[in-house]
Amino acid sequence: MAAIGILIKIFIVANVLMGAVAYLIWVERKIAAYAQDRIGPNRAGSEFGIPFGLLQPLADGAKMLLKEGVLPAYVNKPLYLIAPVIAIIAALLGFAVVPFGPVGPNQVMDFQIAPYVDIGILWVFAVGSLAVYAVILAGWSSNNKYSFIGGLRSSAQLISYEIPLGLSILGMVLITGSLDLNAIIRWQNEHHVWGVFVSPLGFIIFLVSAFAETNRLPFDLPESEQELVGGFHTEYSGMKFGMFFLGEYVHVITVSALTVILFGGGWDLWGLLPYLNYKDVGWIAAIAKLSVFSVKVAAVILFMMWIRWTLPRFRYDQLMDLAWKSLIPLALLNLFATAVVLQIVRG
Amino acid sequence: MTHETITRPEWSTVIDPVLQKELEQHVLVTSWDKLLGMVDTIYNWGRRSSLWPLGFGLACCAIEMICTASSRFDIARFGAEVFRGSPRQADLMIVSGTVTKTMMPIIARLYDQMPEPKYVIAMGACASGGGPFKEGYNVVSGVDKFLPVDVYIPGCPPTPQSLLNGLMVLQRKIDGEKIDIPLIGREGNTAWYRDDVEREIPVPVLGPDLIDLRTVELAAERTAMGLVEAREAGLDKPALIPAPTVEHAPPPETASARPARKLKHAVARPSLVWLGDERLAQLADDLNRTLGPGTAAIIQAGLLIPPQKLVPVAFYLRDKNPIRYDYLVTIQSVHYTDCIEVVYHLDSTGVPGSLIELRVRAAEAEGAGEVPSLYDVYRGADFQEREVFDMMGVRFEGHPNLKRILMWEGFAYHPLRKDYLEPYYEAPAKVFPSRVDDGLGHHFRAEELNPHGTNLKAPRNYQDWGKLSSLDDPKGRLLVPSGVQVEELATDQYVVSMGPQHPSTHGVFRLNLRVDGETIVGLQPVMGYMHRNHEKIGERNTFLMNFPFTDRLDYLTSMANNFGYALAVEQLLGDEARPPERAEYIRVIMAELTRIASHMWSIGFLLNDLGAFFTPALYAIEERELILDLFEWAAGSRMMCNYFRFGGVAFDLPPGWIERCRGIVNERIDRKIDELDRYLSGNEILLDRTKGVGILDREQAIQFSTSGPVLRASGVAYDIRRVAPYSIYDRFEFRIPTGTVGDVYDRYHVRLEEMRESVRILKQAVRDIPDGPILPRKKTYQIKVPAGEAYSRVENPKGELGYYVVADGSATAYRYHVRSPSFINLTALETMCLGHTIADVVGILGSLDIVLGEVDR
Ligand code: SF4
Repeated sequence: MAAIGILIKIFIVANVLMGAVAYLIWVERKIAAYAQDRIGPNRAGSEFGIPFGLLQPLADGAKMLLKEGVLPAYVNKPLYLIAPVIAIIAALLGFAVVPFGPVGPNQVMDFQIAPYVDIGILWVFAVGSLAVYAVILAGWSSNNKYSFIGGLRSSAQLISYEIPLGLSILGMVLITGSLDLNAIIRWQNEHHVWGVFVSPLGFIIFLVSAFAETNRLPFDLPESEQELVGGFHTEYSGMKFGMFFLGEYVHVITVSALTVILFGGGWDLWGLLPYLNYKDVGWIAAIAKLSVFSVKVAAVILFMMWIRWTLPRFRYDQLMDLAWKSLIPLALLNLFATAVVLQIVRG
Repeated sequence: MTHETITRPEWSTVIDPVLQKELEQHVLVTSWDKLLGMVDTIYNWGRRSSLWPLGFGLACCAIEMICTASSRFDIARFGAEVFRGSPRQADLMIVSGTVTKTMMPIIARLYDQMPEPKYVIAMGACASGGGPFKEGYNVVSGVDKFLPVDVYIPGCPPTPQSLLNGLMVLQRKIDGEKIDIPLIGREGNTAWYRDDVEREIPVPVLGPDLIDLRTVELAAERTAMGLVEAREAGLDKPALIPAPTVEHAPPPETASARPARKLKHAVARPSLVWLGDERLAQLADDLNRTLGPGTAAIIQAGLLIPPQKLVPVAFYLRDKNPIRYDYLVTIQSVHYTDCIEVVYHLDSTGVPGSLIELRVRAAEAEGAGEVPSLYDVYRGADFQEREVFDMMGVRFEGHPNLKRILMWEGFAYHPLRKDYLEPYYEAPAKVFPSRVDDGLGHHFRAEELNPHGTNLKAPRNYQDWGKLSSLDDPKGRLLVPSGVQVEELATDQYVVSMGPQHPSTHGVFRLNLRVDGETIVGLQPVMGYMHRNHEKIGERNTFLMNFPFTDRLDYLTSMANNFGYALAVEQLLGDEARPPERAEYIRVIMAELTRIASHMWSIGFLLNDLGAFFTPALYAIEERELILDLFEWAAGSRMMCNYFRFGGVAFDLPPGWIERCRGIVNERIDRKIDELDRYLSGNEILLDRTKGVGILDREQAIQFSTSGPVLRASGVAYDIRRVAPYSIYDRFEFRIPTGTVGDVYDRYHVRLEEMRESVRILKQAVRDIPDGPILPRKKTYQIKVPAGEAYSRVENPKGELGYYVVADGSATAYRYHVRSPSFINLTALETMCLGHTIADVVGILGSLDIVLGEVDR
């Protein structure tokens, strides 16, 4: 019975996620348009009386699914085919331990695909870093120089930024005393204080690294259209290309959710609204928490998009400098300082 | 509906017709056909709403294509703003511009790389049929000679609105498509998934000419029969004139004082501002004294130097002469009956305004001419000498890398020689006889005249037809970059070819990079992908006819291009073509507005190259649009203004124009420049990316003959408006902004400051503009230009634009050469890039601000 429940949950979550991704792309295009003083997609759907180009993602999807899947003769076929699959699987697996609502034995249900994982954060990072395989395999197997450079850049970048990313959360882990994402939310909720206030430096490092981890501008070097055409996915067409796209956006959602959980109090709202206490159970509380959480995640995503359409891009070596010479020392400092302060406070 | 033939599946039952009708009213899906029809509808709808174009622009039309994506037109509304750099992810190829023979193999390859279903829009006259450049020897008469085109958009260039219309037409076409489903025997009207339809285009080959592999046997046969030569035998050929000699010196000054007598020869002077007769004579004496007699003789205000003395003379002029001639302005070449003359213009950055002209003569016969290379004296000679070699066949002794530059290795001719006739050649001057119907109600298409039926010509004795292969890429063959030690065995170095289709090469430009990891150790610019034979066509055009062609050189600055050309011919025409006051003011206003528009574009796209994805560019384009509105109002066209005439401008300003211009100049542009400055100049990432990158120091900038903002960013205050004032620039107050380091940031900043200065000039001009006539005489269509030579220089937004015109007294120019600032500035690219990374190359190239129409001409 439980197994079926989980399967249903997976099914719903995966679909909601995909839908969300599709509309994120729409949102991104709209934001780009507004950032550039334009209107953005508004035709698709008007045939059926649906405004604002809301059907644009469906049109894109329909087109991509039915597009010829070119398999260039010069690629390494198995790796070329498996790379986009890895991209999307890694992205989806990472989401498995993200609690998007209340979780606990007394709750109406666990809003998490794999609840009660004590090492949630480790899992997200471990699986998330699998995505680098997708990029590097795609880059290498395409047998194309742009792809190759893109793939190499990306692997270096992802591996470098994982370190500050991992270090930056250790502060929060020390403070809350747990690797379990639910426990971290609960701690913030109990104390009515968000991670961003107790570990501000950690938050900044995390955010910067998160941009790099998700390949968003100003860190989107693996793709960097102006230099490398399409980067590692230059040779991919149709839905194979679409899968990279989807994977990337799922990754964005996961990282934004993590940001909210670790530093934004999860569904906590400083007790301003009722039902938002970890002791509250029942459907109303669950839905309230789910909504607050979603809104926060959306806000983080919008912030990322806004940045993308505003800033120029770093150069590759500058990016590496930033990781190794600034972020990692800072993250270590943060960890050390947090440990010292904790030791003093807690005696 | 033609689907009665479809067999119903066996399981379907026959339905009573009455019931059927009822069903049709209330149920959506009642028949197999209808179901498939619905699938079609959804599928078609998906494709029509999500047409992602291939990000690839060929020529002037591409600028309008980019404008279509800008705020005012916003192609995103149709879901088609996702310009993909990779053909694998694109659905729609917008062929936006002149398709040249050099580029055609690339276009065919890109088309083959796009996944089905794919569509092609031919945007503009050129892509549809060759357009104004059709007669050129390097131009394909329309992309449909090779690719299946879905929609043609007329116009030159089509406005963004017409591109949008073209897109909608394509959408309607898609609406009518039905998919083939061979499995159930459904026959649609699309060919994508059918096995029996071959949609791949064989990539044409660059052999002696562009060879279409589908018709190679026919071409070989007709060539061997000598049909082209036979046709040419019966045509009028351009007449050659002898090179100028001392006897051709102008009649004494007193003769020209009497306006009643027409001058047969124009006053001999190389340019409006130059050294002057006396000082030139003195210089010739000096040369003869120090380097032996016979070194220099004055011929028509130029110094005739024997080839073997050229290098010592150049060294002397550069290093020893009291006026240090450190700046090679330009190199031209003219084909005369008795020689091919290579003409050098030199100036001094220390004592500007002392322009002199050197003439060096080489043997006339094809391939026999030889002149020593000035590569070691002026590095700026590099590309210009290669151009002369390519176009005239003169060899430059000592040039380290003497290869063709605009055409490809293996092209059979040197096209600017007077004895080379293009495949579509008809007569030495326009109007061509085939265009005139003599009241017979019929004229010919150029294709009907050529024995091959297309723009093709190969030498009769060409043998290697069988060896032509699509895999051969004579344009891209790697030249080992100069001055770089390449270890062939080192495996960590490899070669990346950027372009000619690449998001950041600003058109069809190609860079062969040799990289070590990501560090550039060698760079070779490859150009000519947009060589559309401007100069050859210019020699067939009557003088007046050539104006619209100058528009299309640097298509972002058509007004300023007109200006230079007008000045060149006016210099030949002398006093009778002096523009009236009002016309001078209008010219300056137009030129400065152009400068602002062009710099706006360039700054926006520099930021784009640095990765600020289109946002700054689109804001800059908004300002440009306002200026284009003014142009359209005054001249009738947004981009290709064709507004200047000899001695003035084509039309007076319409009522209300100057008020609106005042409004924009006094109230808007300043604020917008400040805005750009505020948001961009201080941005950390921008500073990181531009400071100290792509440094060109003062000496190098001069050595490489760079000009315009590139030269000034390196700290040389050399601006033609100041050093050789033309028109009425001496009346205005303005500063010449210069940089200090010569890096990308300085170039960016100089442009920003120049816009401010342009606004300053504009404010003075719109304040002072007088009323009055706009032409010295009434309009004429046939202009008599006296024989002579003239070189005009204007400070274009990209740098010094020069027109060298040799007139022989006939209706057309005998020789017409354009000194293209973008082309010459590129000489310095390799030096700027070595040691930097691929990402920086893109930024550095952006900071040079090249326009391919002008680079390749
Ligand atoms: S000349 Fe330029 S603007 Fe005219 S059609 Fe050709 S590419 Fe377009």
